[in-house]
Amino acid sequence: MQGILIKEFKLSASILSYLFIAFGLMFFIPGYPVLCGVFFVTLGIFQSFQSARESNDILFSALLPFSKRSVVKGKYIFVCIIELCSLIVMSIAVILRMSVFLNAQVYRANALMNANFFALGIAFVIFALFNSVFVGGFFKTAYRFARPFVTYIILSFLIVGIAEALHHFPGFENLNSFGTDNLPLQLILLAGGISFYCVVTFVSYKKSCERFEKIDL
Amino acid sequence: MNVVQVKNLNKSYPSFDLKDVSFSIEEGRIVGFAGRNGAGKTTVIKSMLNLIHPDSGEIVFFGKNLKENETEIKKLIGYSAGTVNWYPRKKLKDIISVVRKCYDNWDEKAYLKYLDFFGLDENKTAQEMSEGMKVKCNLLTALSHNAKLLILDEPTSGLDPFSRDELTTLFKELKNDGVSVFFSTHIISDVEKCADDIIYISQGKIVASLPKAEFVSRFSEEGESIEETILRMERSNENARHINKRV
Repeated sequence: MQGILIKEFKLSASILSYLFIAFGLMFFIPGYPVLCGVFFVTLGIFQSFQSARESNDILFSALLPFSKRSVVKGKYIFVCIIELCSLIVMSIAVILRMSVFLNAQVYRANALMNANFFALGIAFVIFALFNSVFVGGFFKTAYRFARPFVTYIILSFLIVGIAEALHHFPGFENLNSFGTDNLPLQLILLAGGISFYCVVTFVSYKKSCERFEKIDL
Repeated sequence: MNVVQVKNLNKSYPSFDLKDVSFSIEEGRIVGFAGRNGAGKTTVIKSMLNLIHPDSGEIVFFGKNLKENETEIKKLIGYSAGTVNWYPRKKLKDIISVVRKCYDNWDEKAYLKYLDFFGLDENKTAQEMSEGMKVKCNLLTALSHNAKLLILDEPTSGLDPFSRDELTTLFKELKNDGVSVFFSTHIISDVEKCADDIIYISQGKIVASLPKAEFVSRFSEEGESIEETILRMERSNENARHINKRV
């Protein structure tokens, strides 16, 4: 298993997957839909799938002394590690905005979503969607990814739009809490996002293993 | 002892069928898998590597079922697929640094020996290499983990006559070390030069699976080379197919 992970990070990965982790820093940008940063991180991961396909990566992996399940597992672990790295960057931005920059006027006067724990929870939801729709969709054929990616783009921007606008609707104002305001609610929503991410990613991984087992390479 | 047994392999595609393919490979033998382009050689090899799923049939390596012992079996075999490009922009040494970690039976001494034997430069990327060098790169990885069986799909395609000669000589050396070599080719002279056994496939069916001498005595006409024999058999198969089509 260690070998297949080394392969993912050294051979299959595009440098953009690593560089685009920095888009997590978009959580600092005031007056900007911060969740777009999540999308850009997944765009970086998409580049790895693209370059891997051009390099016959899947066939190469399938020939190594690992089971087909390990090949799928390697891809999912790679994707999750990149996502979790960007989530660490986003978390740092969220904590700083909740503490050091709590009263910064640029953030207070923000018409869009505040970067709080709820935003982080939504980031988990978008990543879960990427793992399910794109990565899971890719393993239907192990080479076609245009349709899964376009589907993911549409769904992710729908979620970004809803999440960014939701706090303007009556009854949802608390979603845009600053600092430790409504902390229990924020933490519950974050926990909901994390749970969603774990369940959806695991189900997607299981399905991908089944699909990949049936594919003729 | 048989290192591989392929039993009653069937696979249907819209325009091609693999029909009841069965053969076995004995330990320490060089087996040439001959047939024209599209005869089904790669489909058989891919089935042997669990890359495609036959509709029916069984593949057994070293007495163990492939499906149930895939990882273990893959460590004991080396595979090379002609001129397939892996990571064209990565240097050979970067690819090898990963492959090395994947095999607990990796043999660095063998790797350095074959690196020198093939005259490969570790700092070159696949896109900087000729087709022949790419074949050699694939062979290098296949030979560097003490595989007991080499499965080589068109290893001599794209190689110049000198390299082909070197390769067939290498097969004989490997055989002396107890390694079995199973190579597919449409260059029949390579089979003639080094194979102990011949498996001839035509239109998805195994026509013959015999020791070379027996193949010659059974199918060759007097003074005919194996290449000429297979050409003649292939033409008669082709004619029979055309007649059947018209009927």
